[in-house]
Amino acid sequence: MVKIKDLKIGKVIRDEFDQITRDLIRNYSKLGGFAKLASNFIHDDDDRAQKAGYKGVIAHGLFSYGFITKIFDDFIEQEKYGKIIKIGVEMRHPVRAGDTLITEAILKEINGKRLYFEIKQKTETKIHIEKEGKIIKRFEAGQRDYISEKDYARGYIKTKEIDEGTLYFRKRINSPGYAIIELFE
Amino acid sequence: MLYDIMELEEIKKNAKFLINYLPGMEIPGIVKFRCRYKHMVAFAKCFGISDPKYIGPEESGIIACPAFANVFSAKLYINMATISFEQNGKKRGFLLDFSKLLHAANEYDWDGCVKIRPGDFLTIRGKIGKIWVNEKMRLFGEIFQTARNQRGELVCKVKSVATIAPGGY
Repeated sequence: MVKIKDLKIGKVIRDEFDQITRDLIRNYSKLGGFAKLASNFIHDDDDRAQKAGYKGVIAHGLFSYGFITKIFDDFIEQEKYGKIIKIGVEMRHPVRAGDTLITEAILKEINGKRLYFEIKQKTETKIHIEKEGKIIKRFEAGQRDYISEKDYARGYIKTKEIDEGTLYFRKRINSPGYAIIELFE
Repeated sequence: MLYDIMELEEIKKNAKFLINYLPGMEIPGIVKFRCRYKHMVAFAKCFGISDPKYIGPEESGIIACPAFANVFSAKLYINMATISFEQNGKKRGFLLDFSKLLHAANEYDWDGCVKIRPGDFLTIRGKIGKIWVNEKMRLFGEIFQTARNQRGELVCKVKSVATIAPGGY
């Protein structure tokens, strides 16, 4: 149950999705009618996407946006406790197959029955696993050179210890934005 | 060539022309879109949506999930590809290279809107807003759309920003 009186500024709602595959991007493209767009090959064909300068296929910008609408709809339990008024985001970086999509929203303001959220949708992109100074496994981002010097300079490259060794991954905000939700009570 | 297919001077000339020419232009054609039950359900499932409100049996009276706005708002982008005009006496298309076109921002406004149900027949109209370039000569353009159902009720207002890399416009 979601009610204004129970909410506090700073409340975080969050979702994590790690099932982005080329098939899902392709299926989204087909169902969304995007396959008819002349630019669609950058979402569907690695070779042509590479020639166009993208190093491999990227997901449609609106694909990741769909996960943003979903967290708010889940928050109000499919309009049981309120309605989505407005959602706006920038699409700063592409999302790719294999990425983990982390969608977070922080409650910044409550005005009457309206809630104002800040959105930070992030991607986690696995690069490689190192053990004793040697790369023992390279992921797509490492193979296709998705990681740039800017990613290192901006501090987007992180590490974490896992069973196989040290995982290098990039974590960055792909879509910042905002949402306005209106609760019924 | 400073860019892969076009000289910087030509890019600047095209940007200047488009910044003056496009704002306020109605996007050619009106999109008519029939919302079908199977399509609405399959689309919702792309995002792992399992609530029966969006994917339940047809007779239960489902509505479209919020992300369904992605589907009908994309239709008008196809029409944008048909924009052509005369620049310095030569006829040209707005987009010169589709691979350089990306979505840069998106806003859906559902305030005062009604839900979309299977069988609804939507009419979508669009207009181009502000056009600008950044320091890397990437062109940005606002697109405003309104989608109404067969009763003339608003189902969504969309503001999107498209971006075209140098050489693509």
